Amino acid sequence: MESPPRFLHDVAVWLRQHPEIGAFVGLLIVFVGFSLTATRFLTSDSLASILTVAAELGIVSAGITFLMISGEFDLSVGSVLGVAAMVFALTAKAGWPLFLGWIFALLASAGIGFLNGFITVRTGIPSFITTLGTMMFWRGILLAVTGGFPVSYFPSRTPTMFFVLNGCFAGQFRTSALWFLGIIFLLNVILVRTRYGNAVYATGGNRDAARVLGVATDKVKLVNFIISALLAGLAGCIQFARFLSVDPMRGQGLELEAIAAAVIGGTLLTGGAGNLIGTLFGVLLVGMVRSGLVQAGAPAYWYQAFVGVIVVVAVVVNTNLRRWALK
Amino acid sequence: MSGREPLVRMVNISKSFGTVQALKNVDFDVGYQEVMGLVGDNGAGKSTLIKILTGVFPPDTGEIYFEGKKVEIHSPKEARDLGIETVYQDLALIPLMSISRNFFLGREPVVRVWPFKLMDRRKMDAVVRKVLSEIGIQVRSPEEPVAILSGGERQSVAIGRALHFGAKLLILDEPTSALSVRETHKVLNFILEAKERGLSIIFITHNIYHVYSVADRFTILEHGRKVATFGKDEVSAEDIIEIIRSGFKEGECQQ
Repeated sequence: MESPPRFLHDVAVWLRQHPEIGAFVGLLIVFVGFSLTATRFLTSDSLASILTVAAELGIVSAGITFLMISGEFDLSVGSVLGVAAMVFALTAKAGWPLFLGWIFALLASAGIGFLNGFITVRTGIPSFITTLGTMMFWRGILLAVTGGFPVSYFPSRTPTMFFVLNGCFAGQFRTSALWFLGIIFLLNVILVRTRYGNAVYATGGNRDAARVLGVATDKVKLVNFIISALLAGLAGCIQFARFLSVDPMRGQGLELEAIAAAVIGGTLLTGGAGNLIGTLFGVLLVGMVRSGLVQAGAPAYWYQAFVGVIVVVAVVVNTNLRRWALK
Repeated sequence: MSGREPLVRMVNISKSFGTVQALKNVDFDVGYQEVMGLVGDNGAGKSTLIKILTGVFPPDTGEIYFEGKKVEIHSPKEARDLGIETVYQDLALIPLMSISRNFFLGREPVVRVWPFKLMDRRKMDAVVRKVLSEIGIQVRSPEEPVAILSGGERQSVAIGRALHFGAKLLILDEPTSALSVRETHKVLNFILEAKERGLSIIFITHNIYHVYSVADRFTILEHGRKVATFGKDEVSAEDIIEIIRSGFKEGECQQ
């Protein structure tokens, strides 16, 4: 067999080490597409609104990416987001200092994550099932506790805590975008540059091999379940600081959007590969489609259909690129 | 070697899983700088014996001595810390991870960059580049995923890893079973080289001819018992095959 040209070989080497390239190209295409079709797409307000949508989704997706790379799954993040927002709202209404309520909401989220991880690791059942169960359970609890009614908290002026979580600056930009970018950066450094990150890849890549090489795979998974839930909870608090109200259905469907963004970014559903930069691109792509379609004059319903197509196309492209690059 | 305590001595090891007696009163030892072939049919207890030695699970009864000292090995990590390195056929390396990351998995060198402890990737890549060139594997970069290596190259990298980290005992589980003739030859040579450099090796296999060409002694297991240990000068490869084929007659398990 004739060996491929040197140029193609270089591209393959590059692709093997950067699974996020596919999502980046997709992002560029969508960006150019909307720039040409939607007149107000290239304004700073428009960019800010993309970031606002992307940030809240992206914080959730970042945690899910981390967990998925270690070979597990979390369908309960939407419910956890709702629980955290509700805990934050109820404690605020009860007169707790906001900072304390925030910490309490995060602790509750981390506790749910621990439960997800503990059940999955101890019983050995698929996390798809564990978190399907806890997704329904916590949603049910939310509905039962609130009787189905929203909970609001309208302070006379914006508290510092809300500004820190999701305040406006430089026009329509929000601090949630800074949280998002900071979390992506932090998690990616941990994943790509630390020993723990190596253990995460190994756990998802081949659990048995990792175990015989001395990686504490159960502990890695447990920690990642906690990270996933904790970030979903943080996103819930951040979203509450924007809306100042939360209804018991808050976050429903978000789990699938978050997983979609992660796989668009090149994270393998089966674990062992992916990174946070890919998820950053995936989330921006989803955010861009959401606000771009509206600005291009399409009815909002088209958003889901469009994202659905993107997910399938992105994974087909990612899979084939990977296969080709490893040949 | 007489009078000197062997590197590893396993005494009177028994292990049951439920009602299945996987190992019964097995004695096993490996000397310094010796290649020990561990052979037997499927279900003979080879893997169980090795998994006890590497801390995957504990024996029901029996004792393990390493370098003359009695040891209890509770996890693969403890085995590694003692200097017992295992290369499993399918579990040697993780295909999607880079060669560097695989090589150092669980033992990555770090540099402190506040607030993180980061892997010292420059050092990792330099070591791996050197090891790969010693083995004779050519890749563009140590950052390349293991998936692009052939089966023999993967075994070689895993053995190179054991050598680099100063293993005293190298356990190879079916290292040649999935390899082409040429690759098998390379891996067998590499095993002899490891021995030259002072390691002891346990070579587990079905292929008697592969192990016969490199081993100094052979231990034959059958239905969880030890049939015998032979020196290479006592038996031919055909003898070993005949012993395994005809089975262990005395006190044979039913069905």
